[in-house]
Amino acid sequence: MTAGTGNPPGIQSAVSPMLVRLAGERATGALLRDHGTLYLTDGRVVHAESPAAPGIDVLLTRGGRLPREGWEEAVDRAGTRSEVGRFLVDSGRLHDGELEICHLGALFDAAFFALSPGSGPTRFRYGVAHWIGPVRPVSASSVERETVRRRELLDHVWPYAAVDTAPVVARKPAPGQAVTRRQRVLLELADGVRTPVAIAWALGRPAFHTLLDIRRLAAAGLVETPEEPAAASLPTLPAWVTSVSGDPDIALLRRLRDALEASL
Amino acid sequence: MPGIDACLEEAMTLPGALGAAIVDWTSGLALGTAGQSPNGDHEATAAETAELARAAAEYSAFAPPARPPTPAPASRPDGPVPATAPGPRPAPGTATGSAATPAPGSDGDKGPPVEDLIVTTRTGYHILSFVETTFDSSVFLHLWLDRRTGNLALARIRLGQLAERLVLG
Repeated sequence: MTAGTGNPPGIQSAVSPMLVRLAGERATGALLRDHGTLYLTDGRVVHAESPAAPGIDVLLTRGGRLPREGWEEAVDRAGTRSEVGRFLVDSGRLHDGELEICHLGALFDAAFFALSPGSGPTRFRYGVAHWIGPVRPVSASSVERETVRRRELLDHVWPYAAVDTAPVVARKPAPGQAVTRRQRVLLELADGVRTPVAIAWALGRPAFHTLLDIRRLAAAGLVETPEEPAAASLPTLPAWVTSVSGDPDIALLRRLRDALEASL
Repeated sequence: MPGIDACLEEAMTLPGALGAAIVDWTSGLALGTAGQSPNGDHEATAAETAELARAAAEYSAFAPPARPPTPAPASRPDGPVPATAPGPRPAPGTATGSAATPAPGSDGDKGPPVEDLIVTTRTGYHILSFVETTFDSSVFLHLWLDRRTGNLALARIRLGQLAERLVLG
C-alpha cells in the first residue's frame, strides 16, 4: 500500500515514507520523530503523542469530564496491561463513544505535529505498545491524508504561519463585528503571553483546533498577525541546506529527506 | 452504549439512509463513516458539512438571545419525548449536575446552541445532529437520506437520540 493510492493530485507526496513502509509491512511499534511519536499495531495507527498536543488525559480532565484521580487510577490499574482505554469504559468512567471521539481527536492532533515537515530523523522501535491500548485504530494513509489536509487548511484560512507560534495578542473588534462564543473563550486567554498551544492546554482542546481558530481570528482581524515570519518556530532543515539557495528546491529537499529517512 | 461504528450502523438502518458520518466541525475530520457519500468522498463531504455546521453553531442568529434567568434547562426544549426513552430525558447539559450553571471563566454551555440542521436537496435530505459531550469537543452526526424513501421526521428524532446515546450510553 502506498500513501498516494487513490489520492487526488497534490497530496500524493508522502508525509513520512517510513510510515508508509511500516504500514505496508504491518509493523507494530513506535515511530519516533522530533515532534512526536506514532504507535502502530499491525501497520495501523493506534495512538499518537506530541509535546505540542494535549493528551487525552488533559482533554478529559481539564473540562471536568473525568477527575484527575479517576484517570490516574485507570493508568495505575490497567497501564501495565496496556488497557487503560478499555478500563475507562469497563469501569463506567467513560462511554465507548466518548472515549473514541476524544481519543481520535487526540490521535489526529498529535499526529499532525509528529508528522510536521522537517521533523528530523525518524526511528522505529519494533514491538513497543502504548499503555492506552487499542481504542479505534486508523489506517496510516488516513492519518497522512488528514495531516496534509490540515496543513493546507491552515494556509487556506490565513497563510501566515507566524501566528501559530507567537504569543496571541487580541485586537478590538471592529464596530459591529460579532465575536462568537468559542472565539470569546479563546480571546479571554489571549493575554499577549500565551501561544496558541498554551491556550489549547489551558482549555483542554486539541492544539490543531486552537491553531485553526487562532488563524481564523487573525484572518478576521481579532488577533494580531506578527510581522516577522516565525522562521525559528519549528526546527526545519539544517542551516547548510537552506543557505545553499534563497529559493530551495522543494523536490530536491524532499528527496534528500526521504533518502535520509530510508537510510535509518 | 454504542461506539462510533455501532452508532453509524444504527443510523444506516433508518429508512432511506444512504450514508452517515461522525464529523468534527472545527477541523472537518471524519471520525467515522458508513455507506455512501454524496460526492463519492467521505473526507471531502466531512470538510464541507463541517463548515456548514460551524457556521450554524457559531452565528449569533442561532444562539439563544441571552441565558434565561430561570433554571429551566435551555437545551433541547422541544416537545414530546419519543417512546423509546423512559421518562423525560435530562437535558444533556445538565446531566452531570455541575454543568447546569455557566462555568466560571467561560460563558455557559460548552455545547453549541443548535440541535440540528436539515438541508433538503432535490433528491435527498441531510440531517446534521450535534453531539454534546461533557469534554470540550465539536462533533456532529451527519445522515444522508434518500428523499423518496426517507422519513425526515423519524430520522431527525432518531439521529438526535443516537447523538445522545453515543456519549451518554
